[in-house]
Amino acid sequence: MFSLPVLSQVLINGLSLGAIYILVALGFTLLFGIMRVVNFAHGAFAMLGGYALYYLYGVYKVPYPVAILGGALLVATVSLALERLVFRWFYHKMFQSMIALMGLNMALVYTCVMIWDVSERSLPAAAEGILDLGGVLLPADRLVIMGIAIVVLAAFWLFVTHTRHGLAMRAAALDVEIAASQGVNTGFIYKLAFFIAIFMTALAGGLYAQTYALSPFMGERPLMVAFIVVILGGMGSVSGAALGGLLLGFAESFLSTFYGASVSAFVSFGVVIALLVFRPWGLLGKPE
Amino acid sequence: MTDTRKPAAVRLRWIAAAAMAVLAVLWPLLSANTFYVTLGTMVVLSMIGASSLNLIIRTGHISLAHAAFMGVAAYVCVLLQIHLQWAFVPAMLAGCVASGLLGLLLGPVVLRLTGKYFVLVTFLLGEIIRMVFLEWRSLTGGANGIENMPPVPSFIDTPLSFYYFSLFVAVLSIGIVWRILCSETGRAIDAVREADRIAECSGIPVIRLKVAMFALACALVGLQGALQVYLVRGIDPSGFSMEVSLGMVVMNVLGGMYYLIGPLLGAAFMVALPELLRGYVELQQVIFGITLIVVMAALPGGIIDLAAMLRRAGARALGRSGS
Repeated sequence: MFSLPVLSQVLINGLSLGAIYILVALGFTLLFGIMRVVNFAHGAFAMLGGYALYYLYGVYKVPYPVAILGGALLVATVSLALERLVFRWFYHKMFQSMIALMGLNMALVYTCVMIWDVSERSLPAAAEGILDLGGVLLPADRLVIMGIAIVVLAAFWLFVTHTRHGLAMRAAALDVEIAASQGVNTGFIYKLAFFIAIFMTALAGGLYAQTYALSPFMGERPLMVAFIVVILGGMGSVSGAALGGLLLGFAESFLSTFYGASVSAFVSFGVVIALLVFRPWGLLGKPE
Repeated sequence: MTDTRKPAAVRLRWIAAAAMAVLAVLWPLLSANTFYVTLGTMVVLSMIGASSLNLIIRTGHISLAHAAFMGVAAYVCVLLQIHLQWAFVPAMLAGCVASGLLGLLLGPVVLRLTGKYFVLVTFLLGEIIRMVFLEWRSLTGGANGIENMPPVPSFIDTPLSFYYFSLFVAVLSIGIVWRILCSETGRAIDAVREADRIAECSGIPVIRLKVAMFALACALVGLQGALQVYLVRGIDPSGFSMEVSLGMVVMNVLGGMYYLIGPLLGAAFMVALPELLRGYVELQQVIFGITLIVVMAALPGGIIDLAAMLRRAGARALGRSGS
């Protein structure tokens, strides 16, 4: 059972799942860290990204890189309207944001049910073929997914660490009032952070829809993943989200291949609960 | 709560309470259509869950696992009747004891967390319990649940009698919560919620109080679970999901978290509204979601806030300072 071809498959699956999870969790943790909103509608944005990719890539046959990035940009741009209408009222109000965004989640999901029906659709794969590297079989579509995720994450890291706006975002995440008094345009930073967060989530949603299936309820799993990863890594911690995403991706890939999906779910929930009880700030967060 | 209100306001509250009581008792007689009686029963049962959750919320913890505890009690009640031939009322009480014990067991572990961490841990806890319902097929019937429900006991086999029994149970349960919240314990609960370290310095056993309230709330919600499965004629894990827990939290927040009347109003609103929009299932969810957003943005204290706002507006219009 634990042979090299199987293990390498598990490793590749774990990496590609982990990459998707990191993208989802990063969006979530960005919204929490900077605006202190708990985005219960996060899964819905991922789902919208999946539908965007479905139309751009599956129906209109736009070339894949353009489709995936363009779809995510589209969802992020349209969501700016939602930022203005909904999110804006709940910044720094953690608790009211939870309930209101749950409401937003319901509104979005059921609007999509009305527009498209509840049946599941599948998206065409990103690439055909399997690479053979000395006995280790690597499906090309997984590699493409990993590649895109890594590129986006690297771009995000560069943005946050090497640009002025990234620096402003980090300052706003630490203390928004002092950042404002230092001249940071917090209104703009909020919109920027929101745009980036939704972009990454929609991108992840597209990749997720390709790996699994697309339906209006697709977003429930990514939402739970976002919670788990963010708890594992620490709320508001970007490196924590990265670490948490990788851990969860590997654990899930390993456990569900060898022991089944329910064992994998039990174990990951159990570990997270244990972590919350003993170390609620996560592996890389800061105790409050 | 000590009565610092003017005598007229107190009298108004008693009149309002009496009016509600009269409405509750006369409700099934207002229409020959059993749909409204069943709707009333659903509202009354939801009030049990929402008011018991209010006990936990008053200690400062938002629990997303409440429906899961409801499910524990419901499954225990049904299984005792099927496998051990227990009668309905003892089985219902045993179910409540079971969920209360589980709350007592898990309480000390999870209640040490506060704020968002508590919400997250109860979110996951609720999901784990629901997955146990789903996976333990031999006991619970898995996703299909238990379809051969034990027969409804004869004293509640008509919609009318079921309604009055549910009303009776609800009044009992809400009464327990009310008496606790109005007593010294209630003051201690408020103190713990607002500043638990200071409360501890004043001698209040914070963790013990929180665990006691948590366990009691989990036991009380079992009453709703045991009765609700008869109303819907079946028991399966989907009735105890996070969405249901969330519904109960919303009933509290929507109605007003820090007054007992809040969850009661919220329950009536949340159960009645979708039923009135029947036939447009998706649209009702969308409208519901939008309503949540609007209420949270405009009335952060819940619908109760509306009453306060109206009172202030009324006083201003009449040229008096606020009451």
